[in-house]
Amino acid sequence: MKEDFPIFQRLVNGKKLVYLDNAATTQKPSCVIDAMSNYYSSSNANVHRAVHTLAGEATEGYEACRKILKQRYNADYAVMTSGTTEGINLAARAWGEYNLQSGDAVVLTEMEHHSDIVPWQMLAERIAIELRFVPVENGALDMEALEVALVGAKLVCVVHTSNVLGVRNSVEQIIAKSKDAGARILIDGAQAVPHELIDFKELGADFLAFSAHKMCGPTGIGALLISADAFAEMKPFMGGGDMIETVTLEGSTYQSNEHKFEAGTPRIAEGVGWAAALEWISNVDLESHHERLLAIARNVSQNLTEKGMTVYSSLNPGDAAVVSFTHPTIHPEDFARLLDAQGIAVRTGHHCAQPLMEKLGVNGTIRASFYIYNDESDADALLSGIDRVLEAMA
Amino acid sequence: MTWPSSIQQIIDEFQEIEDQFERLEVLMDFADEVDELPFDEWSDSNLVRGCQSVAHIEVNIRESMVWIRAAADARMVQGLQGILSIAVNGNSPETVMQLTPNFAEEAGILVSLTPSRSNGFRTMFDMIQNRIKEEIL
Repeated sequence: MKEDFPIFQRLVNGKKLVYLDNAATTQKPSCVIDAMSNYYSSSNANVHRAVHTLAGEATEGYEACRKILKQRYNADYAVMTSGTTEGINLAARAWGEYNLQSGDAVVLTEMEHHSDIVPWQMLAERIAIELRFVPVENGALDMEALEVALVGAKLVCVVHTSNVLGVRNSVEQIIAKSKDAGARILIDGAQAVPHELIDFKELGADFLAFSAHKMCGPTGIGALLISADAFAEMKPFMGGGDMIETVTLEGSTYQSNEHKFEAGTPRIAEGVGWAAALEWISNVDLESHHERLLAIARNVSQNLTEKGMTVYSSLNPGDAAVVSFTHPTIHPEDFARLLDAQGIAVRTGHHCAQPLMEKLGVNGTIRASFYIYNDESDADALLSGIDRVLEAMA
Repeated sequence: MTWPSSIQQIIDEFQEIEDQFERLEVLMDFADEVDELPFDEWSDSNLVRGCQSVAHIEVNIRESMVWIRAAADARMVQGLQGILSIAVNGNSPETVMQLTPNFAEEAGILVSLTPSRSNGFRTMFDMIQNRIKEEIL
């Protein structure tokens, strides 16, 4: 599969690129790069209202992305965003501000990425909602604590799959319990949607936020899938062109579809690129790749444990192939820099999940995250690279 | 630019190395040059801000000579502190004030590092010169 990705032809520090930072962003196949380049070369125009040919092509290309998203993930509404972060902020602004009141409880977890904590803290500053955090115990959500937190809650926001640990939460169970409690449910799907084909209606959540760039699409674009019930409760949070129906000096009326949340010129080339990525990935058997990568990650994890490192990822069935680890004495940044010197890209730091880091009792970890184009040779290169680091630091 | 011989030696040593991994190994070897600042002397005033790892640097001027003690939780940062120690220790405040952190760029040390670490190096360099300014003024 790597032959579809031109970046794998380059060398990094004179070595073959071993890219294991996929939880941060994935590489792009030629079809995505070509689609975006072709759009700018031959169809560039602003979308929607103009009647000329280029505008028609641009609109068709951009809206094709939305259409594919709705079909692939079985959703009534797909609002195009800049990514997962904007999707969650959109839910906080356009749903939260109009449906939550002072004292209402929103349930979050200690496993959330900052993008699913900070928007709710900002909302709490504005309208004094109560934030309840479900603790993480032994790398998993405390489901008993969730039951307690759900009492009287109006909204539950949960990460589907952790970007730090790769843990896939029991979202189906959490959604069922949240519904029983009468709460709306937002799922942070940034790490999940790239790894499994989610049927949004069957999942039963009200919001599902995710990003294109973590599934071979371009950066700067994502989507927020919204249930029909939640969509009916939302109001625009950002005004401007493209989201209106009529504007007079006395007031404005808004579009009734997703456009009312998409003020201004959208990310057209990115939409075209994402559509190409979605078409490309529709030919990939995510499930079999998932099993393959999980087996590779488990092997890496076992090796690292044998080498004296602490691995924080459980790599249970369903989890993403993410190996988060620390060495007893080598600083994660030193470790990652020495790996980079060998052409191996991993991530270090708190991974935008400082509360989880605090729970794990570390300042940061080294994270190797695998995606569909990775194979055994990448794992072998990582382990050899780690051996060289350990030797150098002995 | 003409550098003091101790710094020129460092530049020459790094410029001879082509392999990035070896370059980082050499950088870490410079950690041995650090006069360590004990943990109980770490404070907000000697904390290096803008560095992702924890780093401290303390500057003393004794008998008209500059001396630094330093500490960090990452070996590469300790290496940078070791290079600064060679550049600074035992020199007059006037000599140290004439230095610039550009020698690290010339040696290619900073290109081996993350932006936060190369910023940290410049911050440590500035901390040394600012402390000297405070003492002299």
